Amino acid sequence: MSNVIGKSVNRYEGQAKVTGSATYSAEHQISGLVYGALITATIAKGRIKTLDLQQAQASPGVLYIATAENMPQLTPAANDWFSSHIYEPRYPLADAEIHYGGQIIGLVVADTPERARHAATLVQVEYESETPVINPKDASFITAPRTPGLEQGNTATALATAEYQIEATYTTAMELHAMMEPHAIIAHWQENQLTIYEHTQWVMLHQKTYATLFNLPLDQVRVISLYTGGAFGAKVFPWPHSILCTAVAREIQRPLKVVLPRQQVTTIAGNRSATEQHLKIGATSDGQLVAIEHHAKSYTSPVNPTWAENCIGVTPVMYTAENLSLKQEIAILNMGMPTYMRAPGEVPGMFALESAMDELAWKLGLDPVKFRLKNATTLHQRTKLPFSAKHFAECLQLGAEQFGWKDRPQHPRSLTREGKWVGWGMAAATFPGWRAMASATVRLFPDGTALVLTSANDMGTGAYTMITISAAETLNLPVENIQIEIGDSRLPNGGIAGGSMMTATLAPAVVNACQELLKQVNAKTATEALQVLRGSGQPFLEATGSSQPGMEGQKWAFQSWGAHFCEVEVDEPLGRVQITRWVSVMNIGRVLNAKAAASQVRGAVIMGIGDGLMEECQLDPHLGLPVVYDLATYHIPVHADIPRIQVSFVGEPDLNFNSVGARGCGEIGITGVSAAIANAIYHATGKRLRDLPLTPDKLLST
Amino acid sequence: MRNFTYSRATSVEDALQGIRENPQATVIAGGTNLIDRLKGYLEPSSHLIDISRLQMQQIESLSTGGLRIGALASNTAVADHPIVRRDYPLLSRAILSGASQQIRNVATVGGNLLQRTRCSYFYDPAFPCNKRNPGSGCSARTGINRLHAILGASEHCVAVHPSDFCVALAALDAVVEVERLSGKREIPITEFHRLPENNPEQDTHLQPGELITAVILPNLPVAKFGVYLKLRDRTSYSFALVSVAAAIDVRDGQVETVRIALGGVAHKPWRAMVAEQFLQSQPATLDSFKQAADLALQEAQPLEHNDFKIEMAKRAIERALMASVQKGAEK
Repeated sequence: MSNVIGKSVNRYEGQAKVTGSATYSAEHQISGLVYGALITATIAKGRIKTLDLQQAQASPGVLYIATAENMPQLTPAANDWFSSHIYEPRYPLADAEIHYGGQIIGLVVADTPERARHAATLVQVEYESETPVINPKDASFITAPRTPGLEQGNTATALATAEYQIEATYTTAMELHAMMEPHAIIAHWQENQLTIYEHTQWVMLHQKTYATLFNLPLDQVRVISLYTGGAFGAKVFPWPHSILCTAVAREIQRPLKVVLPRQQVTTIAGNRSATEQHLKIGATSDGQLVAIEHHAKSYTSPVNPTWAENCIGVTPVMYTAENLSLKQEIAILNMGMPTYMRAPGEVPGMFALESAMDELAWKLGLDPVKFRLKNATTLHQRTKLPFSAKHFAECLQLGAEQFGWKDRPQHPRSLTREGKWVGWGMAAATFPGWRAMASATVRLFPDGTALVLTSANDMGTGAYTMITISAAETLNLPVENIQIEIGDSRLPNGGIAGGSMMTATLAPAVVNACQELLKQVNAKTATEALQVLRGSGQPFLEATGSSQPGMEGQKWAFQSWGAHFCEVEVDEPLGRVQITRWVSVMNIGRVLNAKAAASQVRGAVIMGIGDGLMEECQLDPHLGLPVVYDLATYHIPVHADIPRIQVSFVGEPDLNFNSVGARGCGEIGITGVSAAIANAIYHATGKRLRDLPLTPDKLLST
Repeated sequence: MRNFTYSRATSVEDALQGIRENPQATVIAGGTNLIDRLKGYLEPSSHLIDISRLQMQQIESLSTGGLRIGALASNTAVADHPIVRRDYPLLSRAILSGASQQIRNVATVGGNLLQRTRCSYFYDPAFPCNKRNPGSGCSARTGINRLHAILGASEHCVAVHPSDFCVALAALDAVVEVERLSGKREIPITEFHRLPENNPEQDTHLQPGELITAVILPNLPVAKFGVYLKLRDRTSYSFALVSVAAAIDVRDGQVETVRIALGGVAHKPWRAMVAEQFLQSQPATLDSFKQAADLALQEAQPLEHNDFKIEMAKRAIERALMASVQKGAEK
């Protein structure tokens, strides 16, 4: 073994990225390329009466305009996460109906992007407008059909008779993925061969989906996704603009590129729904939980009427309570489609649950760390399965030790520094361990280098490097000798980068491929294999390996764990919060790349600080169009908002989960962050803030 | 972006000739805000006159005391200038609290004065907006207006002026030097920008055919103690919820001279004259500052989402005055 696993390895594609040679979707140079600009609705509900294209058609450089009138028929997608899947079930330009502000109502194609954009502004639209439902107060709620609730014991009675209880309502704001790279696609038809250059978190499903939509055999569709500039859940499946671009490219028989301006990323490419959560928790006087009621509401779009931001998924995995009542409701608003965004459901869910736990700890007069240790559950309370390789207690204990938690004063408004209140807060973190199926092919060359081929993608998370490490470790070669080709549907299925699954899914497949290669020539290491190879005169040795979940999920619940500790300074009269210290301890099974894993958690904490302190997208209450829509109006943290973030990992490899023992790292770090901040603000000021984001006006008015 | 033509001015006179001959022309220097507006179809301009190569970058001391800052001096050059840092530190702080280093390197003094509101409704042509399309209505008044005006607004417009630099200039009694073919005139900064009234499409009192050539800072000893306090939703690269430029000179516990200007609250940088007059010869105490802050905001009229700005502005005034007193005491 070369023992590279667990060390800090630099990013495989780092140099390509900083020198600009990394080719993102919009940057592929294709001869004869033409450009599309979307025409979008300026009302949020109603229908198109007339669409006057005359001026646009006469505008210089315009080649084609797609509308509902000439939109070709497509084959329906199965939306089954397996054979084909698209985000918005309604096809672009399906009819004249408008369901949300910014909805696509046409596409202008021109010889330059500027001419296309300009012509799109010349289209005259007459609407038959209806009053949209934008304010949640005007919406009617139904039980979320795809988000199971849970009723266990008798929660109402248990709460009524509990010695201590708290009841509170928490709200979170509509959020944007705000990834660096806006959505972009190039669709290129050559005869009946379709090549799609588009970032995706799941190359193979992307290929299958385009094949389904356009009724093509799989081998006539190629998806290329070499680099993805951030995704956070908004680049798993094709969006309407991608489908439209591909359909129009076929009509005009020219390679066509569509890049969304930031405002269109906001309206038509996903968001995280706002939520409202009602929590009731009851406990005995010595701090044993007896009941948790967690009722959540979220919002969705008319075009995807069953979507829920599942806030209640975290509740049965965190703390033991005999009586549980979990319910998720949704209401339809005339807004663009909410979707998966980094730790979907866990982020708002953990804000509410971990804030409520803090409130109850204060009421009980218990230290919040001890309160959590006392109530942590050993079984998943929905499946009743034991957790595999769970080290939540060590996360809490090591975090408390690193932070110096034992010196925390037991009363709010106890610490000051330079005229500001200082407070310490903590919260737990959790995210499920998931994995899927993947394959990889490895080739060993006589010069001692190896090449790994798999369709996986890297959205900035470190997948390239993770594959390098897995291969280097198994073959006992230096990481510099490993070359990678990913992000191409012609390669073996590399699985999905979503649900924090890529490492847990793909690393075992790469390891298996390498082991298979060694086995072919009865070698223990690459050095031995190379002797055989060089003697044989063959150009290379090649083997393919796969990995997929087995029956382990019937014996174990797989879940990752963590704890955040932070210090805030609050300038109370001005409502200013500055986070001054952060400690995170995570239990994610085996860490493959210490540097990348710590960076993942650090990045997630930063995104969580955005969630806690500033991120909020707002729609105009009358027209339903966003008034927060770009990187200037949608605030994410700047460097000056972020303190040093100390990250550690605890626990052993989770070998019940997969052969590598890794549970994944992409999302857990953001969960619990906003609660830790709110809890620290309470400790600093005695003010309990329950409505995210915690902007200065919220502090001023509490 | 609409098509436009472009020419490069060879001299101030050439530029003045250009804007007089073509009323549709817009002057461009750094372009950091103008280009965004052009891309967003907010500007009717069909012709750009580039003045960025003209020799108006100089920052020079005046024989009467004070400083003359050429209209094409970059924000960075002004913020870093040793005399600005020594004699008008709040101006330097105000500039550095806005935008990003890259934008400040390109943005100019004249352009800073003429940048337009960042009201989201103004920037999206799908919304009615009297500033963009006179007579169409103000969407912000009944929309999302957390960032909008609490002072001096009208039923036609509740937008705020976005500049930090101009708030500091308002506190410093700065004068804007403008030139037209027939000669020069000077406009006090507090009379340069205007309130929206019935015609919010007009941001300033600059007349057609006029070009900003310089900003003049008078000799103002109190400015040495000045502070700029900006409150916002994140620590950098965001516009002010409320900002305060304040400078106070205290003799024997009494207020000798005081300057207070507010940003993020009105269609123009808001000089708090009533508060200043009240403080004249008052004891320099927190209590006086509180009374002055109340006076500064007594005319405030909040909208649905921004009533917090009133209390925030009062506290910011108190804090800024206290900080300025502290600064004076350290000298």
